[in-house]
Amino acid sequence: MRPLVPLTGADCFLRAFDGEVRRSAGASHLSQLVLRLGPGFDPARLRAQLAAAAEEAPILRAPIRRPYGIGAPVYDLRRAASAPAPRVEVWEPREASRGGTSAQRPIPEVFFERLNDRFAAARGELLRADVVPYDGGAAGSDVALTWLHMLFDGSGSEAFVRWLDERFRGVRGPGELPGGDGLGDVAPPPLGAGRGRQAQQWQRQMSGFAARPPRSLAGPLRRVRQALRYELDTYGALETAAIAKRATEKAGFLTPMLYYLAAAIRAHDAVFRARGVDPGAYLVPLPVNLRPKGAEGAVFRTHVSMLWFHVGSEQARDFDGLLAALKAQRRDSIKAGLVEAGVAALDYARFAPSRLYARMARRSFGGELCSFFFAFTDQFLPGVPSFLGAPIENAFHSPSVPTSPGSSAILSVRDGRLNLTHVHQQGVLGEEECALLRRRLREDLLGVA
Amino acid sequence: MTQRIFEILRDEILEVDASFTPRSDLVEAGLDSLAVTQLLLALEESTGIWVDESLLTPENLASAEALAACVAGLAE
Repeated sequence: MRPLVPLTGADCFLRAFDGEVRRSAGASHLSQLVLRLGPGFDPARLRAQLAAAAEEAPILRAPIRRPYGIGAPVYDLRRAASAPAPRVEVWEPREASRGGTSAQRPIPEVFFERLNDRFAAARGELLRADVVPYDGGAAGSDVALTWLHMLFDGSGSEAFVRWLDERFRGVRGPGELPGGDGLGDVAPPPLGAGRGRQAQQWQRQMSGFAARPPRSLAGPLRRVRQALRYELDTYGALETAAIAKRATEKAGFLTPMLYYLAAAIRAHDAVFRARGVDPGAYLVPLPVNLRPKGAEGAVFRTHVSMLWFHVGSEQARDFDGLLAALKAQRRDSIKAGLVEAGVAALDYARFAPSRLYARMARRSFGGELCSFFFAFTDQFLPGVPSFLGAPIENAFHSPSVPTSPGSSAILSVRDGRLNLTHVHQQGVLGEEECALLRRRLREDLLGVA
Repeated sequence: MTQRIFEILRDEILEVDASFTPRSDLVEAGLDSLAVTQLLLALEESTGIWVDESLLTPENLASAEALAACVAGLAE
């Protein structure tokens, strides 16, 4: 691996919002993966595996900086050796959390606190782990891995957990990085005139949204301390099977994400309507995984482009009509080459000052970025029943969302059960609004609205 | 139709070797959400028929042959 590993364009997109979150909300733009484990977990094993992983993959603790203050930012592997290994901290469960199964236990408060933390990226603090054992681990443990979002995307974080477990079980030997992680060496393709035109095409699309700008539940960005929490809804196996069947029938076997996106838009719309507010339009980015064949297991950096969906609020009134509009937009965007255009635009933006990048995005929409964040990542850690010797009872993603838009809906399926993580900035939604959002989402997913 | 779909998949969309045939499972061969839409767009260009994603069941994606039968059904 080269000593200075360039960030991908998508990394820089996330880095731009990290800068914004630092300045406006006093936190970092982080993501989190939570494992709810059965008995048998030993934090010392995690500490040992993370230390060994950091030796083998120094990017895990490499300071991120712009060499000589200019140019595209890089992971500086030369300075990684002097940075400490990712920290693992063990916490006592709070009184209310002591009893019950993992499904009954509340999410540990320390996980929310960590999601609102500020990481020292320039000193190589990119990843931390928090462990809450119950009855000393005999009754199970909750584990949260929290990282600077640009280090892994959702797929990468699952590949990382898989890698740690494979190392622990001896399935993968020391130094054997998961498949395709030679990608860590690959610099983004050169920026020629063709890619410049693609970037301009993407810019034109974004500018076009300004004719009907989105409005988020939080409203335009303002300086307010980040205070994210999330609720987890885990659907039963029968409900999940029914939802998957409906999603396939309405949106297609390989493209069910639009079904979930339609439900998420209508769930936010229900809150706006309860407020008596017409948001005018919804604008939501949908990540597109761009790992090439053979690199599915790649862990590090962000390998995504984004498709943007823009619908009028009147289209949210009817689920099937909304879904049809989303399908048409997806088809038109892919036909127009906007997946590739998005990559080109993000690659160009690597050279722009982060502050300028974020500011440009918000200026077009009156201080808004988008309506909310959304992801449907389908199967979560398929084929990984345990982690470092303890059975995985449930697992889900809980990425942070900027204080504006202040709300995100993240969905994935673990062991045949759908998990919805609704991450939101405290104060953006009232308790009843949170309940309404989740209830409407559930009704639409199950088709009982 | 089977041959056309097979050629689009083999030459333009999937990275496959000589073991890929009109009877190969498309998902196992690497057809994903982005690739399937690129396939549908290529099919629309060559046949004028747009196949709605909701018709793409696991059965219709079992092979190029199965998908061709689905498209042929729409053309009738």
